[in-house]
Amino acid sequence: MTALLELKNVGKAFGGLKALSDVSFSVAPDEIFAIIGPNGAGKTTLFNCIAGALAPTQGEILFQGRRIDGRPPHEICAQGLVRTFQIVKPFRGMTVLENVKVAAFARHPRPRDAEAAAHRVLAHLGMEAFAETDADELNVAQMRRLEIARALATEPKLLLLDEMLAGLTPAESAAMCDLIRALPRQGIAVIVVEHSIPVVRSLCERAVAITFGEVLAEGTTEEVIDDPRVQEAYLGRADAKVDA
Amino acid sequence: MSGFRTVAIVAALVVAAFLLALSDRYYMDVFILTCFYGALAVSWNMMAGLTGLMSLGHALFVGIGAYSVAWGASVQGWPPLVTWPMGVVIAVAAAAVMGMLCFRYGLRGYFFAIATLAFNEVAFFSVSASVALGRSDGLILPTSSEDSVMMLQFFDKWPYGLIIGTVLIATLAIGQYLLTSRTGYYWRALRDNEEAAEALGVNARAYKLRCFMLSAGISAVCGAFYANYVAFVDPRSVLGIDLSIQMLVYSIIGGMALLWGPLLGAVLLVPFSVLLRNISAMQGSEIIAYAVLLVVLALILPQGIAGWLTARWRRRKAAPRPEGFASVAAAEKSA
Repeated sequence: MTALLELKNVGKAFGGLKALSDVSFSVAPDEIFAIIGPNGAGKTTLFNCIAGALAPTQGEILFQGRRIDGRPPHEICAQGLVRTFQIVKPFRGMTVLENVKVAAFARHPRPRDAEAAAHRVLAHLGMEAFAETDADELNVAQMRRLEIARALATEPKLLLLDEMLAGLTPAESAAMCDLIRALPRQGIAVIVVEHSIPVVRSLCERAVAITFGEVLAEGTTEEVIDDPRVQEAYLGRADAKVDA
Repeated sequence: MSGFRTVAIVAALVVAAFLLALSDRYYMDVFILTCFYGALAVSWNMMAGLTGLMSLGHALFVGIGAYSVAWGASVQGWPPLVTWPMGVVIAVAAAAVMGMLCFRYGLRGYFFAIATLAFNEVAFFSVSASVALGRSDGLILPTSSEDSVMMLQFFDKWPYGLIIGTVLIATLAIGQYLLTSRTGYYWRALRDNEEAAEALGVNARAYKLRCFMLSAGISAVCGAFYANYVAFVDPRSVLGIDLSIQMLVYSIIGGMALLWGPLLGAVLLVPFSVLLRNISAMQGSEIIAYAVLLVVLALILPQGIAGWLTARWRRRKAAPRPEGFASVAAAEKSA
């Protein structure tokens, strides 16, 4: 297996505080991979290191065999790795179409091409009806969808989704899962940071569990979730069972 | 391309105003001042309203343009053909240096505003102390008794109106072109959310710098024009904080969300202040009247005149929205 993304002993320290240490794992080009862990485990820090918002203080991150650690986010995006934000960040002064168009400009410098690409993404996500709506007027589920639409419009090979399902109703969440599940078939690998164990079980083939900035377990989702150390990290008791 | 149609309409109105103003030197003076402040405010708002970069030291670039022309003409005898480009180049270079420093160290919002203000103040006091630039007395441009196209010296005011009207229309056209291109979309994305924009492939530093340099260049052209029109520059008039504040006021009153919003502010406020200066019986009362108007406008039109106009226009032409937008539909029903 040639890895799409590979982390080698990645560490991040904020002054004396070690937020991440010795994190290593790799992601294949056609999978949905999960990063799980309790609150404050360092998931978002790890995310920020991969996407370029933070520079790791140690180790290497390779994307398609090229080092990306410490590169600025816009360069990493140009190489085909894009992220969404846990707290949605729409461009509030723009319409939905314009939001997606900004992202499409990453691959299509000409306005007409970018607009056509943005329309294609919106149609694909079933958001065409909202194209001319102000992004400000969307509800939470629609804003999440807009985050994904923008990310997809940059035509990535790897998509990082940060807590995409938090705060959604079961129906909205199921629709979102279907959308994510279809991505590898379009040649887009996905890394999700997710709290909900059932969602991770149903979405992802492989996972890594981290706590206190260190890797607890890596492997297939079942293995990782059933690992007693992961159980303990989540519930604090070795004999407890994490389940839906 | 409805944006270009808007620019064409605005350009037609500018031409119409120019033709009307031909009848009288006094009207032409008002026209020229309105275009001057309008172009300045539009260029300032390219940064503040469209890219989210609030500059409080924009007079610096006006000053660079004005002093380039004044110093070139009075000390060296250089024609505007040399001094205008020189002023623009120096202003753009100054903006590049300031921008690289500010954006390198991540100055945003108020901190960026204060930094630009500081640069402006440094220039103000340096020029005020510089013998070569006439200290705080300023520089008087040499004049001859005859008109000279080469030196941009005319007895009539209309050639000046022609020049500044062209500058204004060109500013709007450039702005509109950029707004419909990738650059404009990236600017607005940076204004709305810099972090998200960077994640989506926007090189924040490069695009902010580009905006800063363009805005500074246009301001320098206006400054160069000012020096030729008034034939006198001093630190107070072209480097003072008042000038920077005026750009801000016209933009806020006119509406910062749209390219031509600041022009609307200038069209309303510049003639109004000229008018007040002429009719006020009690000295200083015009300042009070002007201030009251600003307060009232800011209160009743928080989005500026342009924002209010477009909201009205949108409401009128609003078609039924797709389902799932109950709040919007309800808002439209009640409107």
